[in-house]
Amino acid sequence: MCMMGASVDPLVVGRVIGDVIDMFVPSVGMSVYYGSKHVTNGCDIKPSMATSPPKVTLTGGNIHSLYTLVMTDPDAPSPSEPTMREWLHWVVVDIPGGTNPTQGKEIVAYMGPRPPVGIHRYILILFEQKGVLGGVEQPAARASFNTRYFARQFNLGLPVATVYFNSQKEPASKRR
Amino acid sequence: MALSSAFAVTATTTAAADTTSRSSWCMNSLRSTLPSLPPLPTSSIRFPHSPSSSSSRTLRISRSKPKALLPSFTGLAPLHPLFLSGSSSSEFTGFDHCFTIIDNGGRVSAMRHGRRVPKLNRPPDQRRALIRGLTTQLLKYGRIKTTRARASAIRKYVDKMITLAKDGSLHKRRQALGFIYEKQIVHALFAEVPERYGERNGGYTRIIRTLPRRGDNAPMAFIELV
Repeated sequence: MCMMGASVDPLVVGRVIGDVIDMFVPSVGMSVYYGSKHVTNGCDIKPSMATSPPKVTLTGGNIHSLYTLVMTDPDAPSPSEPTMREWLHWVVVDIPGGTNPTQGKEIVAYMGPRPPVGIHRYILILFEQKGVLGGVEQPAARASFNTRYFARQFNLGLPVATVYFNSQKEPASKRR
Repeated sequence: MALSSAFAVTATTTAAADTTSRSSWCMNSLRSTLPSLPPLPTSSIRFPHSPSSSSSRTLRISRSKPKALLPSFTGLAPLHPLFLSGSSSSEFTGFDHCFTIIDNGGRVSAMRHGRRVPKLNRPPDQRRALIRGLTTQLLKYGRIKTTRARASAIRKYVDKMITLAKDGSLHKRRQALGFIYEKQIVHALFAEVPERYGERNGGYTRIIRTLPRRGDNAPMAFIELV
């Protein structure tokens, strides 16, 4: 249960800060669009709408610096038993400031949300790189990814922007 | 609050059980023993056994007896139960005539015959709120630690909520929203339960008894979702 006065930040309420990343101060604006739907913290996105990578626009950042975008799902395979926390969906590095991930290098190809059980959170985290990241190889598997470890490994520090959305399996057949 | 009253009940039942086991008392022995202080620890230790065995027999019959034999006492509860119990502990002969404090309209039994609803020492509105709160928390956290009575009381309602989620229709969802305090939990429940409990028929909880609580020695239990 959150304390009403202390944490109304949706990232804290949704336990994004804590499960995946640590408390940070947002310094870059990131707007994410799946088709025409603008992603706000905690909004619901259907998996059918998120099959292709979203349009991400960075605003307010340093034009000369490079950014890394990571998309993970900490509730894999099920929110009450996240044995495969976190599931890696997308990694793009070397995004120039003020542009979008198509200008960067895609380390891990985009995989759309496919939650098998329950309501999953899908978190897009933006890091500011200290320099050009060389030697970033593909992680061995998408499962059991650790964002904090990844950030520490490449000296990315705290995130500069984060947004998350919820998604659940669409009912295959018509509900009774 | 509920616990102190429970203690008072046990104290008076234990004491009263012994007073009326003295069906053959006379006032002389009683008056002679009144001034002496009884050893309280012994009286409290001995009598946990007597209500259970003696209360099963002759309940209503014995009720009239103390009034006849001991006219100085008014009402069902003896005035100085501990005095009497302690003083007569040496003359303890049998459990023939027992007496338990009647606080529920004259119906007392050591077995659970006919008891359908766990009252949880609360009026109905508070009872419902307590049960709703506990089931909400259990569905939220997956495992909670509470008293044994409460854990066994909420089993039925947790199973009901999971059954509603298994059905999954809008009507059932709204029924669940009317019971569970947080709507996020209802939505998460309806999203997860068909996968998680699809094959299981009933019995979605498990109770594990643990050590009593330090403050009041209340028997505790973990209740968790299977």
